[in-house]
Amino acid sequence: MSEPVSMGEGLMSPVVRRVFGVLALFALAALVVVGLFVAPPDEVQGDAQRLMYIHVPAAWLAYLAFGVTAVSSALYLWPRTRSFVWDRVAGASAELGVIFTGLTLLLGSMWGRPVWGVWWAWDARLVTTAVLFFLYLGYLALRRVPAALDVRAKRCAIAAMIAFVDVPIVHFSVTWWRTLHQKATVFNPDLNAEIHGTMALALWIGVLAFTLLYVYLLDLRYRLEVIEEDREERELEAAIADRVQGGMASPETVGVGS
Amino acid sequence: MTDAGFVIAGWVITGVVLLGYWLSILWRIRRGERSEP
Repeated sequence: MSEPVSMGEGLMSPVVRRVFGVLALFALAALVVVGLFVAPPDEVQGDAQRLMYIHVPAAWLAYLAFGVTAVSSALYLWPRTRSFVWDRVAGASAELGVIFTGLTLLLGSMWGRPVWGVWWAWDARLVTTAVLFFLYLGYLALRRVPAALDVRAKRCAIAAMIAFVDVPIVHFSVTWWRTLHQKATVFNPDLNAEIHGTMALALWIGVLAFTLLYVYLLDLRYRLEVIEEDREERELEAAIADRVQGGMASPETVGVGS
Repeated sequence: MTDAGFVIAGWVITGVVLLGYWLSILWRIRRGERSEP
């Protein structure tokens, strides 16, 4: 099947994107097998632990996605590297980050009900993660506010860098405050991973699968960003042309009678 | 709901969300291309 021309305007070639898509699919299939059937149930949490093999990778990918948004935004703001490519990458990655943060909150809640006995607790990790979710929803809303492309890109880049301040707060919330949420199992202060064997394998396959999926979706979402920008520019030009035509016909605009 | 119920629901919801998001991007790309002059 041949792809339309605009599908080629991505960060990578369509072939490389497909390779990432296929690899992501295989890694996700491996994650299902290892996470649901190979890894043993946790001694304390039982089968509910299996939600961690997607909850934790989703949280890490949210960090990665918002990190990419922040770096891309900085590169847009820096005059020497300013390019709309960075603005598009920032927007695409932020949307993916929101999806992964939403999944993190949802899966955490579904794990919390059987293990903690509650769907939600006013815990520092949970609250800062929810704040992160709403901060970037606001960022995505800001990208929808009509404006010239450069104006929008600049204001969104600033907003993205401010929003990113919450990411380290989320990560360190379990060490800065006494929380119901457990402390970091892998990236703890000693960098001594407290997970082993097939459980660790399932977790790392989850991270790999979600990372491959993120790269694949980022490229696809970037292409969509290009198409939407083109459409916005066409609509703006059409609106200006309409206004000019209407103005030409209007006696006030052309100065008739003044 | 049992632990297994929560696990299955969580994994299924994750799959549906990711699949739905992927399809929504493809659909928006197709729609955008159709509206191109």
